[in-house]
Amino acid sequence: MILPIVFAFTAGLFVILSRQVNGRLSLSTTPLLSSFWNHIVGFVFLSLLGAVIGGLIPAGLEQMPWWVYLGGTLGVVFVAASSWLITRIGAVNSTLLVISGQMVSGVVFDLLRGVPVTLWASVLGIALIFAGMALTQRRR
Amino acid sequence: MPASQTSARPFHLLAAFASGGVLTIAVFINAEAGRYGGAMFSSWLAHGTGTIGAILFLAVLWRRQRHEAEEARARAGKPPLWAYLGGIIGAATVMLTSTSVNSPLALAGTLALGLAGQVILSLAADFWGLFGLAKRRLDLRDAGAVVLIAAGSLLIILFGVGAA
Repeated sequence: MILPIVFAFTAGLFVILSRQVNGRLSLSTTPLLSSFWNHIVGFVFLSLLGAVIGGLIPAGLEQMPWWVYLGGTLGVVFVAASSWLITRIGAVNSTLLVISGQMVSGVVFDLLRGVPVTLWASVLGIALIFAGMALTQRRR
Repeated sequence: MPASQTSARPFHLLAAFASGGVLTIAVFINAEAGRYGGAMFSSWLAHGTGTIGAILFLAVLWRRQRHEAEEARARAGKPPLWAYLGGIIGAATVMLTSTSVNSPLALAGTLALGLAGQVILSLAADFWGLFGLAKRRLDLRDAGAVVLIAAGSLLIILFGVGAA
């Protein structure tokens, strides 16, 4: 049980690590170019890893809905936006505001899809998040 | 690198909040690919199609991108080699989360611990100005925002969605 805990926590560290690293690249290039490098380097790395491990590409690809091919492009927009943000408002602000957007849109998305949502916890959670977001809007 | 912009303005707030929404949709779509071929395939597909998407964006915006990149390079210098490795860290993240999601931690535990990791490294990154980005002075309002947003997110992750 200790290993999955370490993995999940490290994944959180890595999210910020890659955002900082991509942010640094964007300072010397542009957020979009930085996002391009992020994706092509990740693609080459995963291709090599897949070649070593094998079985990367599953059978029955033609059964996947067409829209699964759009996730990567949304990722490009997200990574570019993250680099743009972190170099302007810092790591804490961008982390908090992105998590806020993720949480609130996650609740709305689940409600729209008809996935069961515990309303009291979600509404209270969103209220706390909005209060925290207001605190990021301080005057210097 | 001076700390030129230390607080989030309304436009930054909207942009960051909206990009969190983009992330929700991207995660949902990539999870669908994962149902067919597993987490590593899903990440590989997202990076591959993302590369093509990025090339298309760059092709359309090339003039301006090249101009901006030249200016940025004149201002900030040549990027260090490690700055090109963000994609490897991102790919490794997928492997870590896919392992822990399939453990007794499940999705909720993985998200909650990941949130903790994100907040802790963000605080350290701003405090020390890690990885070539600007230092940012942290104060009580930052602490308040961290506590409120982390508490709200944990409520949603642990009791709000998926737990019903």
